[in-house]
Amino acid sequence: MQTNPETPKLASSQIAILLLVSGIALLAVSVFSNSQIICFIGLGLTFWGALFILITPQKHVEGSFLVTSTLPVYMTIDRMLKDLTPKNEAYNIPSYTRDVDLPEYMKGLKEMVTFIPEEHATGMAAIEDLAKGKFLIENPKGLLITPPGIGILNKIEQKRKTDLTKIPLSELDETLPDLLNELYLTKEIKMATNENDVTLQINGSLYKNLYSQEYNLKSINLLGCPLVSAAACAIAKSTGKPTMIQKIKTSPDGKTTTATLKIVQL
Amino acid sequence: MNFPLTLSDISLWLAATAIILLVTSELLNSSPEYSSRILIDKTRMRLAAIGCGFAFLVTVIMRVV
Repeated sequence: MQTNPETPKLASSQIAILLLVSGIALLAVSVFSNSQIICFIGLGLTFWGALFILITPQKHVEGSFLVTSTLPVYMTIDRMLKDLTPKNEAYNIPSYTRDVDLPEYMKGLKEMVTFIPEEHATGMAAIEDLAKGKFLIENPKGLLITPPGIGILNKIEQKRKTDLTKIPLSELDETLPDLLNELYLTKEIKMATNENDVTLQINGSLYKNLYSQEYNLKSINLLGCPLVSAAACAIAKSTGKPTMIQKIKTSPDGKTTTATLKIVQL
Repeated sequence: MNFPLTLSDISLWLAATAIILLVTSELLNSSPEYSSRILIDKTRMRLAAIGCGFAFLVTVIMRVV
């Protein structure tokens, strides 16, 4: 994942085609010469050539591109937060399940949103504002933005054909780390639930650089990296209650990220 | 100008290939830490392995029947 994306694909494709062509040629020769040995060699070369073409991944990108492509999202949110003077909390508000039919004017309720209230605002965003898909709301004052981890969450649901609203929190402890590990974005994820508090430990995340002082992002501690945000959204979907990131800690070497999430009781 | 391999030959070749592919596929799927660094489509790999296994079983049935 860390090498030039063009080189290995080109080399493996060329080797695969070479194997395939020589295999077919040997198969043809073996039929004419009636030789079992040549036929075995030809069959093997054809098979492995075809297999190499089949199992070569279509696309792969360098891992560090994930951070560079996500960075502008957080920088934009940072700029918005400068104008808002936010409270140091953000609520991931769950959406309605996909199979529920909602009228056109309430379509906004099918999208997960993150509510960032202003410093002096109290209470949760009104359901009317969520339904209308608003961005800036007045009562209580704050921002409604799309959580950065929603893409990962949707990908997990599509890949596994699951709806997280149907998985109880007791099962999510085991299911969610497995689902996130399948994306190969981290080395290991552990999740532990204690009543309304959830602790998420991520080792070797590809997004770990987002927490570094180099970028000095303020919104990252509020919203979490896309993986933490996806986990917060998944818990919100599973419980049907908003979730909030309380604290994010990174180890001195930056390899381990520990996020403490809270399920908000309304 | 006949095809030089008999059904038994193909059956043996399929058995050997299926074992290699099934073991490789299982190793790749059981250790995601290491396999994430290997650039291959693991789903297709598993499908090819299972396909070879089934093809071998088909040849066995053909020989028995």
